[in-house]
Amino acid sequence: MPENRIYEDLSLVQRRANTVFWIVAAMIFLALSYYWKVQILEHKKYQGLAEANRTRMRVLPAPRGLIRDRKGGILADNRASFKVSLVRENVKDEASSHAAICRLLGIDEPTLRGRIDLHKDLQPFEPIIIADGLGPDDVAPIESRRLELPELIVESEPQRFYPGGGLAAHVLGYLQEQTPEEVLARPNRKVRPGEMVGKTGVEREYNDVLRGDDGKVYEVVDSLGRVHGTTAATQNPVQGGDIVLTIDRDLQAEAERSLEGREGVVVALDPGTGRVLALASSPTYDPNRFITRFTPKEWIALMSDPDSPLENRAIRGLYAPGSIFKLVMSMGGLSSGMITESTTFYCSGSIQIYGAIRHCWFAPGHGAMDLSDAIKNSCNIYFYTLGRRMGIDTIAQAASLLGLGRKTGVDLVGEKEGLVPSEGWKMKTLKTPWYPGETISVAIGQGQLQVTPMQIAAMTAMIAERGKRFRPHLIGGALEPPAVAEELPASGTMPRFTPAEYEGVIAGMWRSVNEGGTGQGAKVADFDACGKTGSTQTMSRESAERLKRAGREVKTHSWFSGFAPRVNPKIVVTVLVEFGGGGGATAAPVAGRLFDLYKKDLATKLETTK
Amino acid sequence: MMMIDRRLIGEVDWILLGLILLQSLVGVFFIYSSTNFLPGAYHVRQLIWIGVSLVALLLVLAVDYKFFVSLSGYFYGLMVILLAMTLVFARLVAGTKSWITLGLMQLQPSELAKIVMILVFARLFAEYKSAYLTTQHTLGALLVAGVPLLLIIAQPDLGTAMTFLAIIGGAFILAGLRKKAIVLLVLAALAIGVGGWTIALKDYQKKRVTTLINPAGDPRGSGYQVIQSKIAIGSGGFAGKGFQKGTQSQLRFLPARHTDFIFSVIGEETGFLGVFVVILLYFALLARMFLSVAKARDRAGVYIIFTASLLIAFQFLVNILMIIGLFPVVGITLPFLSYGGSSLLASYVACGLVLNVKMRRFANV
Repeated sequence: MPENRIYEDLSLVQRRANTVFWIVAAMIFLALSYYWKVQILEHKKYQGLAEANRTRMRVLPAPRGLIRDRKGGILADNRASFKVSLVRENVKDEASSHAAICRLLGIDEPTLRGRIDLHKDLQPFEPIIIADGLGPDDVAPIESRRLELPELIVESEPQRFYPGGGLAAHVLGYLQEQTPEEVLARPNRKVRPGEMVGKTGVEREYNDVLRGDDGKVYEVVDSLGRVHGTTAATQNPVQGGDIVLTIDRDLQAEAERSLEGREGVVVALDPGTGRVLALASSPTYDPNRFITRFTPKEWIALMSDPDSPLENRAIRGLYAPGSIFKLVMSMGGLSSGMITESTTFYCSGSIQIYGAIRHCWFAPGHGAMDLSDAIKNSCNIYFYTLGRRMGIDTIAQAASLLGLGRKTGVDLVGEKEGLVPSEGWKMKTLKTPWYPGETISVAIGQGQLQVTPMQIAAMTAMIAERGKRFRPHLIGGALEPPAVAEELPASGTMPRFTPAEYEGVIAGMWRSVNEGGTGQGAKVADFDACGKTGSTQTMSRESAERLKRAGREVKTHSWFSGFAPRVNPKIVVTVLVEFGGGGGATAAPVAGRLFDLYKKDLATKLETTK
Repeated sequence: MMMIDRRLIGEVDWILLGLILLQSLVGVFFIYSSTNFLPGAYHVRQLIWIGVSLVALLLVLAVDYKFFVSLSGYFYGLMVILLAMTLVFARLVAGTKSWITLGLMQLQPSELAKIVMILVFARLFAEYKSAYLTTQHTLGALLVAGVPLLLIIAQPDLGTAMTFLAIIGGAFILAGLRKKAIVLLVLAALAIGVGGWTIALKDYQKKRVTTLINPAGDPRGSGYQVIQSKIAIGSGGFAGKGFQKGTQSQLRFLPARHTDFIFSVIGEETGFLGVFVVILLYFALLARMFLSVAKARDRAGVYIIFTASLLIAFQFLVNILMIIGLFPVVGITLPFLSYGGSSLLASYVACGLVLNVKMRRFANV
């Protein structure tokens, strides 16, 4: 070609360039087919991932149901509060972020660390609650720093509020945060980590009724967790069901007032239904203080308080029943035929039984006593003699027939069984035979006998109803179980007590209150109360006398348990005051005040129904 | 220097220029989509850069490429000095010393170094007429390319360094490599690769390579970008989620949306359809560039067209493979579409050189 002089031969390099281009073209085609695979064939998978990326499920906590007393007064309410959560994923610089958070929330770094460590197994994008129970003023500074602190989320949350403060605290119980371990331990419950759940009392027993159903909202969030609106599927929370208790606010308040400054228990029951009208355990506490997730100092103080204010003494306190047990002795004595109502024993102030001298609490002696005299005066000599006749196993059978040594079944968690000793029991647990001398201690309610005040109240109610027993319960309203009398299982060879036997004992109880007996402090005009006192030795007689000689007074636990009126009983009151001294002096007047209050209450109700 | 001849204007490849501008405008659209909620008006700035780059392209057209080739020695010296200065003075941007401030504009000298290398190789191989490279020639070319390459690796700018290697390799292929030379080069590359892995590579760079093999192994770290990008593309489906409707990009799950990952935004918002159209346009553009070698009047022209085309093609391929997880994340932009002045300017100038060679295919002797 003529041009060859001007244009050099470039065909070789041009061919090579073309080859490279076609290699490039082939790679473009391969890339395109991979895009086809990802965008068309695997579209569904990536669409799901994109959805999960941008939507975040947020729980809308359901307000708990309200708890009311039998008259409709609110015992547990809800109020609006705010909580602040931390999303670890959005923390840029841990040190400066934590410092700013602590400053804004007024908490210290170890507390914050502790919270985060507690929930360290959560995914980094899941919020950890770091402060709660806050008011609008507390969260305003955080809201205003939204952009600087994308790791913080402020949400509103209904918070439990007990308008009465410590009123009926042991009945209501308290809430605590469900820990991650507890959630793991019971995976099929619908409780989420960080939820406040009932730990004791009614809040725990009826947690499933009270908690309601949490709502859900699916929020569209960006990569910094900022919310850009919600998707359509918002599920509103459903408030938990309300609960009506059998508790009577006024009786409850009076019971708590009378225990103020002391340690003790007051239980009031409606014997014809088993309704618990009042349940006070002292010392008490203010459950409002545990509603936040962070009160470690106060919590530890309460936990380690030697007076254990958190314990519900009515169902968990174990005491010797003292002279209250003479009711069991009387019932058992009549039933076993060891005595009749007119059997008389002579009290000279002391008696020698099994080689040991035993004293009556009334040193000069009561003289000749029949059953109702003995109950009225709480004569020890009478019951020593009866105890020797009955023997421990007959006593145990009678106690069992009256519900001692087993749970009453009240709808509160943690109730204790107490203990009714017997020959078999001692051989089994202590591997030693029973000594007859021990029977004599049990005969006046000492020795190894252990009862809870709730058991004594239930037993008193059973006596008041002449043998009909209704399970004590706190739940009222629509959820209340029908009032069907309970049959306690048979106990050994002893038959069930007859109405006549009950009447015999009740006669003594009536005289104790109304004819100048030990229970006269509980007397209320025209209310015909019946009752029995008890004073429980808290240490052996020998050590008590030694201390007495040293000039120190040792007070006994003070008991009273009774009901009113004698016919068609309306209320049972059981009072225990720890180290309260004589039952007649301390416990009986407390019961008297409650009888009086309830009597007036019944009168006004009668007025209004007329 | 001579002013542009009237006759030459008719020889400009307007179709190629049109394809370049079309791609750039597609880029502006998706830069807008992914940044309109941010302050800074990125799309406006990109438009300004397109204008600046177009002027630069026309200026490049005005001068015969032979003149540029003859000056390539000076350019080379300037480039080495600039790269060395960058290393010393440049402020740290994103962990690398690759930016210098020139008045109002920030420039990446390594981007412009690619253009210089195109001219240097054209000069080196213009007079080389035998079918295969000699060892002497190979080593000489490696030495010339090695100095700027090392300076860029030192910044460290892995992406640009890889692009450099692609240009060098392409030039060698064109010049003709014997089998023995290929084996030697592969061995040398392996040695450098293994040595570089253990000595020179930063931990984050190593992580990017291991992440390619297993992106789920580090979903919150370096695997995050690839996972989010793949989710964006895959969730786009056939027709996409619509302009400005991509949840991945609008909600900022996608990193570097308007720069390295602009094609992920296109994939999410316009689906496979948009991906297909953009890749088709790119194919047309690259075909038109590569196949222009037939129009070159001399050896230098062939080298300019080939290396410039390879420069664009390599970056394009690496970018679209990187964002879908088939290549490590090395920080290579998508020419014409990604936001960024230096990269845009370099791509336009490279195309300017191709147009330059093409329109001067008739020797005006």
